[in-house]
Amino acid sequence: MSYEVTVEPTGDVIEVEEGQTILDAALRQGVWLPFACGHGTCATCKVQVLEGEADLGNASTFALMDMERDEGKVLVCCAMPESDMVIEADIDVDPDFQGHPVRDFVGRVTEIVDLSPTIKGITLALDDSMAFQAGQYVNLTIPGVEGTRAFSIANTPGDSDRLELHVRKVPGGAGTTWLHEQLKEGDSLDVSGPYGQFFVRKSDDRGTIFIAGGSGLSSPQSMILDLLSEGDTRPIYLFQGARNVAELYNRDVFEALAAEHDNFHYIPALNEPREDENWHGFKGFVHEAAVQHFDNRFNGHKAYLCGPPPMIDAAITALMQGRLFEQDIHMEKFLTAADGTDDQPRSALFKRI
Amino acid sequence: MAAKKLNIKDKYRLLTRDLDWEFSYQDHKKAFPFEEFEGIKITDWSKWEDPFRLTMDAYWKYQAEKERKLYAIFDAFAQNNGQLNISDPRYVNALKVFLTGVSPLEYQAFQGFAHTGRQFGGVGARVACQMQSIDELRHVQTQVHAMSHYNKFFDGLQDWSHMHDRVWYLSVPKSFFNDARAAGPFEFMVAIGFSFEYVLTNLLFVPFMSGAAYNGDMATVTFGFSAQSDEARHMTLGLEVIKFLLEQHEDNVPIVQKWIDKWFWRGTRLLTIVSMMMDYMLPNKVMSWKEAWEVYFEEAGGALFKDLARYGIRMPKHADLIAKEKEHVSHQAWWIFYTHGHAAGFHTWIPTDEELDWLSEKYPDTFDKYYRPRWELAKEMEAKGERFYTKALPQLCTTCQIPMGFTEMDNPTQISYRESIYKDERYHFCSDGCKEIFDEEPEKYVQSWLPVHQIFQGNCGGPDVEDVLRDYYRMNVGADNLDIKGSPDEERWKKWKGVA
Repeated sequence: MSYEVTVEPTGDVIEVEEGQTILDAALRQGVWLPFACGHGTCATCKVQVLEGEADLGNASTFALMDMERDEGKVLVCCAMPESDMVIEADIDVDPDFQGHPVRDFVGRVTEIVDLSPTIKGITLALDDSMAFQAGQYVNLTIPGVEGTRAFSIANTPGDSDRLELHVRKVPGGAGTTWLHEQLKEGDSLDVSGPYGQFFVRKSDDRGTIFIAGGSGLSSPQSMILDLLSEGDTRPIYLFQGARNVAELYNRDVFEALAAEHDNFHYIPALNEPREDENWHGFKGFVHEAAVQHFDNRFNGHKAYLCGPPPMIDAAITALMQGRLFEQDIHMEKFLTAADGTDDQPRSALFKRI
Repeated sequence: MAAKKLNIKDKYRLLTRDLDWEFSYQDHKKAFPFEEFEGIKITDWSKWEDPFRLTMDAYWKYQAEKERKLYAIFDAFAQNNGQLNISDPRYVNALKVFLTGVSPLEYQAFQGFAHTGRQFGGVGARVACQMQSIDELRHVQTQVHAMSHYNKFFDGLQDWSHMHDRVWYLSVPKSFFNDARAAGPFEFMVAIGFSFEYVLTNLLFVPFMSGAAYNGDMATVTFGFSAQSDEARHMTLGLEVIKFLLEQHEDNVPIVQKWIDKWFWRGTRLLTIVSMMMDYMLPNKVMSWKEAWEVYFEEAGGALFKDLARYGIRMPKHADLIAKEKEHVSHQAWWIFYTHGHAAGFHTWIPTDEELDWLSEKYPDTFDKYYRPRWELAKEMEAKGERFYTKALPQLCTTCQIPMGFTEMDNPTQISYRESIYKDERYHFCSDGCKEIFDEEPEKYVQSWLPVHQIFQGNCGGPDVEDVLRDYYRMNVGADNLDIKGSPDEERWKKWKGVA
């Protein structure tokens, strides 16, 4: 049994298991809420309940006083939902967030292509057009797999009747294995979306750095195509990381864009190119390519990171050491079952990264 | 169209940050004269992110409610003679240390945040410091009120603020805060707002307050919870300060690192007194100092420093040594007080046999080897009527002001001893950490008011120790000091409990 908790004012929706605290579920699902002590004594995580009921848990009577209980306040570090809920937290709405409503769709598979030896491009025709922001993702329901799987949208919002998804086959991953081995053109899948806070902050016109790893190219592809199609003139850099030339997919697309647009720069990086591939580009990890290109100075830019957790982690460290900080770093982490749940204690130093 | 509802951030901005003004006919630098001399570079105060958004009207409402609840519990505790429900009269001695050593620090924090807040050019930081300042004043008041009930029944609590200013071991906490308050505003924030509040107060408030609960002291538990509900704001302020300084300018990074090195070392030395309270002074134990250190410093602090590494900040200097000290410091500290029990403002004792066994179990690598034999010897001597007191006054470390009783951590039978010569005078230190702090700012620390030096110079009355204790410290000699065994505290307790 689980409940849906909607977090206002951002509209993020999290799934909370019976007996799980709202904070625990939120952090595990990538939704940041203010918190500090984590055990009900400090009140940093106090929110207003707009709808629904919760067990207040072990909230201290000083951290959550009677009058606040009467007003419908709860501490999310202790509160466990007893119904679906809507809560209002002390978090900011991003002015660039368009807030397109999440809806359910049916997608019919129109094309499956091999982008690389491990990544397939799957195109779905939607039964209705989906308004979304470049960078956002959808949840797919995969037959025989419990829950849903998230995939970033690789096409642009202008192209709203279809979805292009990049799916890497995760070793031992039930969902991606099914999509690689069982899915056929003509099949239909249930899709919901759009989700996520990963989109270009267009109101900030500073130069934009995209760092993508593996199938994490999907979101940046949508974001870059969207910017360039609008005639955006800010400098745009795409650092694409892959193991070898065979895995470096859509390279021709971005090389063509770089030739066509003076403000777009494409820098691929391979960490293990094969001898026979005759690679003359950057050898090493993608964050190292960025460090070299910018001579370890990133300030004055916005950065967007998309890919597996180790790549994101390395990129954040590189960016921060090059003086670009949390408020200018945006990211989408591609978690798989293999990444497990991060049980290491976290400090409250960073909110989103 | 109806006006959109203001979100909390906008409401806060209008009611708080918007109250600032531009200096049009006065020089900004003259208005905030301390902002630059530490070498910290602030390029844009508007980048300050408010760590919490609380408007003054809401602040008063919440704090008033907390007080109402807290004082209702104090009243109930007093009316029900709560002092009779504590585990053991020895427990009250931990409260004596707390009231004379820790509560006055809350008052110093109140003064420090008021002063520091005034010195910041950014309004967000000023408002946050103002609220913390008022919180700290509330904390000292509630602590004094919680303890005042014990003062009616036990010795040693009657003159806490006077004692804080003068008594030899209380110069350790007092000088710690004086050092921070005599620093510039940014160092104060790194020292108290970050190092102390974020990392170290948890060790005081969480395990020690649980200790109060385990020992039946509802009044102290309740003020602990009440204070802890404010601490969150203090911790988030400390974190924001660090982030802000590190992000404002890269030249700030080495300065902040130096302060972190200094104040973590100063903080661990200060917490020695808490280690002793946890391991020796709580009759019902919660967890050992070593366990508390592992949970609240090593795990929580480890996660923090992992994140700070992204800014180029490393673990505090001597972290490897600090990791070894958790096995030793509580035993070494209580031994110092046991051997100076005649000059302490609280009672001392030899741990009971069960307590010695508990210590052996909690410290399998060190207690039986180094510390248990001392207590066994002390027990033997006491049984023969030869209870041992150190007659001499201890040599103090010039930086932390703790008697030079700590050992080398890799050789726990050798006293750790360092020295520096500055302008032809020799200064003594308990550790590399304390020596380095002195060497960095000798002009500051040569002014230290070291209690033992002051006694020898004749500035504390005398000539005998007993004269100093009675006349200068205002202790009730024979009641406040010496062992719990045979003390008036113990006699009264037996009478209340009907024990012969």
